Amino acid sequence: MASKANKPELIVNGKRLDGRDFNQLRPIKIEANVLKNATGSAYLEWGNNKVLAAVYGPVEAQPKHMADPSKAIIKCRYSMAPFSSLSEHNRSGPNRRATEISKVTKEVFEKVLMLNEFPGSQINIFIEILQSDGGTRAAGITAASVALASSGLHMRDLVYAVSVGKIGEHLVLDLDMIEDNYSDSDMPMAISPRNGEVLLLQMDGEYTKDELERAFKMAADAGKEIGNVQRNALKSIYENIDSKYKGE
Amino acid sequence: MQEVIYPGDLLSETPIRAPNSYIENGKTYSMVLGFKDSSGTGIIPFEGGWTPKVEETVIGVISSERNNVYEVDLGSHYRSLIIGGKYERFSFRLGDIVEATVKDIEDGRTIILSYPKALQGGTVISIKPSKIPRLIGKNNTMINQISQGTSSKISVGMNGMVWIKDGNIALATAAILRIEEEAHVSGLTGRIKEMVEKR
Repeated sequence: MASKANKPELIVNGKRLDGRDFNQLRPIKIEANVLKNATGSAYLEWGNNKVLAAVYGPVEAQPKHMADPSKAIIKCRYSMAPFSSLSEHNRSGPNRRATEISKVTKEVFEKVLMLNEFPGSQINIFIEILQSDGGTRAAGITAASVALASSGLHMRDLVYAVSVGKIGEHLVLDLDMIEDNYSDSDMPMAISPRNGEVLLLQMDGEYTKDELERAFKMAADAGKEIGNVQRNALKSIYENIDSKYKGE
Repeated sequence: MQEVIYPGDLLSETPIRAPNSYIENGKTYSMVLGFKDSSGTGIIPFEGGWTPKVEETVIGVISSERNNVYEVDLGSHYRSLIIGGKYERFSFRLGDIVEATVKDIEDGRTIILSYPKALQGGTVISIKPSKIPRLIGKNNTMINQISQGTSSKISVGMNGMVWIKDGNIALATAAILRIEEEAHVSGLTGRIKEMVEKR
């Protein structure tokens, strides 16, 4: 387990363990509309993270007493597959951690979706982590955002999420599993790129005011890169069909 | 391919009321994935659910009956009812396919249907509601082309259900599913024409 006693050297010769710079993201790949039955879906690979997100709805709210007559409700299920990690998450299904992440993810999308258009209904968001390597909640939100956009539900923005951590005096972007376990602090955040509104902010450890401001700056810069990947994924659904039939 | 608009994209610095956009702090933003319509401000979405409008035609399946009130499954989360009156009695059975007109939408979640008509025989297929305008075409050109080419009777519900009877049902189904997939690709009318005339 992570402890100060067996902490490895996380920064060697000014580079991180996997050879990245401090403000460099892991490679991201997103494919949209991968599931035929879902209203919208996305598959994301972010470094070694592999995430499948699916959106169903709006459907009739179940159980009925949960239905809100003024707006739709969101149900979100974040779950790690039993084979997603080497040892720690060896049991699938809800646990404390998954319940917490489901809740914060739900609250992100409550701010983004136009829920008042579908009173009395329910929108289901499923996030399944197939392989995990740190930063899965950020990866899950980024994938679910693409899945929601591909479903055609009305939403205010294409949200992205990323984590910023601190190793010694260095701020580092997009922590992987080892960095996450041994870093001095870790802060996943979800941001609406349209106006920079922060929709999720969780923090583990300590930051000074100056570091916090720099962390937001780093996340905003990374957001442009993530946003481009998300947009290209959505665009390519229709470009692929376009090129398939244009030739005939 | 036309320029793609993503949710949250700025459409205008001034507040403009246009389809599939929203206004915040005096600016207009897109709320769907799609492309610009001919007016230049509204967005035509690639995907999207069905929002009922009064006087639209819908097709559904009778799912329950009680005291001359019939509940119809339209394949959406809206509860939809056919309410018979003292002088208006219906004799539908569970599982009957009906075509009806939206009379009213109550509380934004219950649809009241009027002028129900049972569709005898035939099959029903369900496609994405956002592709229905393309299936109908300008002045019904596309749907007439399919029904003439396959000599089928086709009835289209705006909720995404399409009823087909007689003629070459397999070809008509294939053509409709192809329109669903290629709705945004230009030159579709020509390709469908070729498809139904070739047989």
